[in-house]
Amino acid sequence: MSRYLARRILGAIPLLLGIATLVFFVLAIAPGDPATYLIQPGMTAEVVARIRSNFGLDQPLLLRYVKWLGAMLTGDFGYSFSFGRPVLDVIRTFLPNTLLLSGCALVLSFVGGVVLGALQAARQYSKTDSVLSVVLLFFYSMPSFWLALMLMLVFSVFARSVWHWPFWLPVSGMTSMDYASLGLGGRILDRAWHLVLPTVSLTLVLTAGIARFMRSSMLEVVRQDYIRTARAKGLPERTVVFKHALRNALIPVITLAGLYIPLLFGGTVFIEYVFSWPGMGKAIVDAIVARDYPLVMATSFLFAAMVVVGNLLADVLYAVVDPRIRHG
Amino acid sequence: MVRRRRIWTRLGVLGLPAAIACGGREPVGADAFAGFCAEVRPRVTAYVERAAAEHSVPADPRYGGTVVVGTVADLPGGMNAAIVTSYTATQYQQFVSLMTLVRYDADLVPQPYLARSWEVNPDTTALTFHLRSDVYWHDGVRTDAHDVAFTYRTVTDPATGFPNPAYWDLYDRGPEGVEVVDDSTVTFHLRPHADFLDAWRATAILPEHLLGDVPPERLMQHPFNSECPVGNGPFVFVEHRPNERWVFEANPAFPAELGGRPFVDRLVHRVIPEQTTLLTELLTGGIQVYVGAQPDQAKQIQADPDVDLITFTHREVAYVAWNSRRPQLADRRVRTALTMGVDRRRIVQAVLGGYGQIANSTVTPTNWQYDPDAVPDTPYDPDGARALLKEAGWIDRDGDGVRENAAGQPLTITLKYNQGARQRQTIAELMQAQLADIGVDIRPRVVDATTLTAQLFTEAKDFDAVVLSWVMDFRLDDRDMFDSRRLSGDFALSGTRNPELDRMLDTLQTVVDRDAAKPLWDEYQRLLVEEQPYTFLYFVDRIAGVRKSVHDVRVDKRGEWVGVHDWWLDPSAR
Repeated sequence: MSRYLARRILGAIPLLLGIATLVFFVLAIAPGDPATYLIQPGMTAEVVARIRSNFGLDQPLLLRYVKWLGAMLTGDFGYSFSFGRPVLDVIRTFLPNTLLLSGCALVLSFVGGVVLGALQAARQYSKTDSVLSVVLLFFYSMPSFWLALMLMLVFSVFARSVWHWPFWLPVSGMTSMDYASLGLGGRILDRAWHLVLPTVSLTLVLTAGIARFMRSSMLEVVRQDYIRTARAKGLPERTVVFKHALRNALIPVITLAGLYIPLLFGGTVFIEYVFSWPGMGKAIVDAIVARDYPLVMATSFLFAAMVVVGNLLADVLYAVVDPRIRHG
Repeated sequence: MVRRRRIWTRLGVLGLPAAIACGGREPVGADAFAGFCAEVRPRVTAYVERAAAEHSVPADPRYGGTVVVGTVADLPGGMNAAIVTSYTATQYQQFVSLMTLVRYDADLVPQPYLARSWEVNPDTTALTFHLRSDVYWHDGVRTDAHDVAFTYRTVTDPATGFPNPAYWDLYDRGPEGVEVVDDSTVTFHLRPHADFLDAWRATAILPEHLLGDVPPERLMQHPFNSECPVGNGPFVFVEHRPNERWVFEANPAFPAELGGRPFVDRLVHRVIPEQTTLLTELLTGGIQVYVGAQPDQAKQIQADPDVDLITFTHREVAYVAWNSRRPQLADRRVRTALTMGVDRRRIVQAVLGGYGQIANSTVTPTNWQYDPDAVPDTPYDPDGARALLKEAGWIDRDGDGVRENAAGQPLTITLKYNQGARQRQTIAELMQAQLADIGVDIRPRVVDATTLTAQLFTEAKDFDAVVLSWVMDFRLDDRDMFDSRRLSGDFALSGTRNPELDRMLDTLQTVVDRDAAKPLWDEYQRLLVEEQPYTFLYFVDRIAGVRKSVHDVRVDKRGEWVGVHDWWLDPSAR
């Protein structure tokens, strides 16, 4: 196992370097540069050239690449052009926010998706199955930003001014304006309160997909011979479903979980926009538009690393749950 | 040239941190300025505590509470006036955190602010400011003439990359241009020019004791900008969380003569990138002021009994620039016909819901030169446009609905606009439909914003026509756009040549007296209409929603934050 791990990790290094190199040169080819982005009337060509040289962009491309690579290998990602602070500071500012939101959403949607999918498969073609299918399909096909706006409308606007509920949910931001003056308990509650709508918007869409996946995986498993054997030897249905079917049906879902891990890092841009959640997704998109090379490089490198790690994790978990792979 | 870019409306929407930058020549370690904030913050805290102890809050029910303002964008470049001239950041520098030497009254006449008074010598070559002696940086150091001189040296140092060097075009730049007479007196040397005080209304003064040692090319990376800025204005910086919010608190020691402590205890600037969310927050009370509302949101704001709709004419002009280097656009009759073929009234209705007015030149309704009666309009006249095109030799020779010249080339024009700019997309589509009526084939094309900048504002000039808008400054200087001696310049979009226009552009910059300059401005605009380098579309109104719980929010062409010192929160809403 450790040999396998070592081989995979070593194999990832040239892959990551290759991705970083590719991103670097693709960015360099893209029209415009950070100085172009700042151009405004009144600016002379001299000023533009100055800004370019303040950014270090007057140097030859290859030299820039070598310098960037050297610095990166020592953990120095440079300064973000658009935030005016070290790239690592920028990531440190936004990453925890994204991890909190997408972490909550991922956990909830996997738990929800597995439970609902298993339930549907266990009662295939029942009323529960059809109703759940329709509902899940509805959420699955909703654009997440539209769903987010509708949730906002119902649980904040209508709840407050039309139906006069005793409570309503905050529509944007991570904390209230009086956050600093709250006690520890109050702060935790305030954060959780702000998490509800964005998490639910993300979760609904994700859950639907995972439940569909789980349902078909489960149906696949219940058709297997060993399930028939389990039933034939007179085991109670509950044991058959939960012990024999469910555990085996979870194996492909684990792969799915691995694929979702990069989401933890990138967040989801639309949800971040709608709920003004200061996370990585918006920061990355803004950085690309502004040609903020150092920030784009660092985030895409980390993103690629997350994909590699996610896949690796999925494979390892796979081996853990499936003895055939472990020993094969 | 004195006008700020507002090309990519949608960029603002994306909350792009625009005007700042960094990433020095060498990759720099994360700790280059690490100690700065740790050193500065305790001094500011101590100063505010001392000031609060010395100046008690007056017994007036207007004092107290937190007002939250929401907009789509963070403040790029933050409070560093030397590296940013973007609209919202400048508003915070001028009216919230920092101070300018002079400020405008509602008629745009300069009034004392950080400068108690000033005088100019008879030939307008020496300008002397006498500063107030009771203004302190929020770390307790007094603001004096050395700060003013430092600010001037910094913004005129090319290494800084100050975005709008045209402010200082007719000042003697660099260290020779400024003289510190004593701690509260400073003299600048300049050549006579119109509205020469405007630069001192625009550019806030920076603290020399904090930034004096910073190499100018590293200013863009300095923590002063947005991590721990130290101002001297009516509000003290408290906190900035990127893409989330800025928090300011009242400065208890702000000079009584300038109004003393502001009424609200705290002013929060929230970043909410989605317009729909902003509106929801305003209507549900999460924010009290929504700056930069969209025209299609105005109805909803008006319908709410707890919210006021505030609009004012802004100095933003939207236009289509025609690239006269292209053979089909070289003839001014063609460009005039294109303007005549566009129903601008309909565009203002469709795009702005009526919150705007038709433009015929770069002189906006906020400028003192504005006089619509003196400038000939180019009204919607499809028949006139057809006749003019025919006269210029563009006739539909093959009956396909598109005019051709004698050589058989069709009158096809690609009209570019930047991605995400919904309003510009509407403009391009309306123009396509309207100009098809007169036999012109307009092809709208959307381009990523930075790519489009690279196509427009470099030597490439890779476009036929483009939909844009500028935020003009109070001091107008159109030379970068229309002076044919600057044709190789980045901003000569149209590239038309008109010696008469060139001469006029020079003259306009040097006439100090407004009464003498007014007829010249009228003449200039007549020449511009004749030349038609652009089809000017409209001037934009800015729209804001303000909850009625915030009193005395007076807003005019100087900007939304101009009266922030006097806003006060209804005690019932605290």
